[in-house]
Amino acid sequence: MIIIIQIAVIIMALTLLLSTLVGRQTHAARAWKKIALCLLACAMVVAVLFPDITNQLAHLVGVGRGADLLLYVLVLAFIAYALNSYIHQQREKDVLYRLARKVALLEANEQYNIK
Amino acid sequence: MKKNKNTTSNVAFIIPVYNEEKVIAGVIKSVLKQFSHVVCIDDGSKDNTSAEIRKTGAYLVEHAINMGQGAALQTGIEFARQLPVDYFVTFDADGQHRLEDVSSMLKEIKTGKYDIILGSRFLGSAVGISKSKVVILKAAIWFSNITTGLRLTDTHNGLRVFNRTVAENMQITMPDMTHASEILEIIAEKKYRYKEIPVTIEYTDYSRGKGQSIINAVNIGFDTLLRKISK
Repeated sequence: MIIIIQIAVIIMALTLLLSTLVGRQTHAARAWKKIALCLLACAMVVAVLFPDITNQLAHLVGVGRGADLLLYVLVLAFIAYALNSYIHQQREKDVLYRLARKVALLEANEQYNIK
Repeated sequence: MKKNKNTTSNVAFIIPVYNEEKVIAGVIKSVLKQFSHVVCIDDGSKDNTSAEIRKTGAYLVEHAINMGQGAALQTGIEFARQLPVDYFVTFDADGQHRLEDVSSMLKEIKTGKYDIILGSRFLGSAVGISKSKVVILKAAIWFSNITTGLRLTDTHNGLRVFNRTVAENMQITMPDMTHASEILEIIAEKKYRYKEIPVTIEYTDYSRGKGQSIINAVNIGFDTLLRKISK
């Protein structure tokens, strides 16, 4: 039983990760990301106030201790964050490079009297 | 540009250049003996590359910052589109490609049966290639054929000849070496008619020193996959 729950949790986590990457940067997607971040913060506060809750939750999904569960969630959040900012960085680079290309072409066209 | 009657004038050579002051002038001169349009893109070189190019009769387009070979190729293609040419050749700056191979590729594309001709060093020969490089390149071919659905024997070969249709529609977005995979994806997506022609790559100590390291295949694979899922 525990194994089934574990597999389900892993699959859910990976789909969540993938969907944050695949999803287009719509207003809704960005809003959900903020909501998720707030929920994570709230969960942290609750976990501090009631240490047993994380333990119970961990047992529910087949993880040893509450601290372990927190660690897994954190790792997942970190990977999502890292990939997200990598994609974001590539997009910004693309914009910069298009601009630089435009400058290079304008300069060259002027030099060789093209158009 | 100087007009020389003995040179082919309907072909534009596109040569991305980065820190090649030692060899670039020689490479350009040998091309200019046979072809009148050479477009060099100096991708923000830190040495005297641009001065060396200026000494020759080639067009020089200068990137203010270093952006990578893919970005330089795109700039070169956009500049060359403005020239009165029918065919476009992408050529490496380090002198590892041979003009004889370009001639046979041009002959092939002039039949009008293909939109793009790709050079393959595994149909032809790669002189002085290292064993580890062969293994990595074979893996790259396997990976690329699966992701694009094309059937090729070489994927990261810088020697290509294509017609104006391809040049007008080319939009390379991957700035670094991943562009080679991207071009293949574009060929698959737009259903261009393609053919591979055996070419000889001469790996010299110089080109080996300049070539991309094998570990970069990891970056290329990662970027290609990430681009596929995050599109």
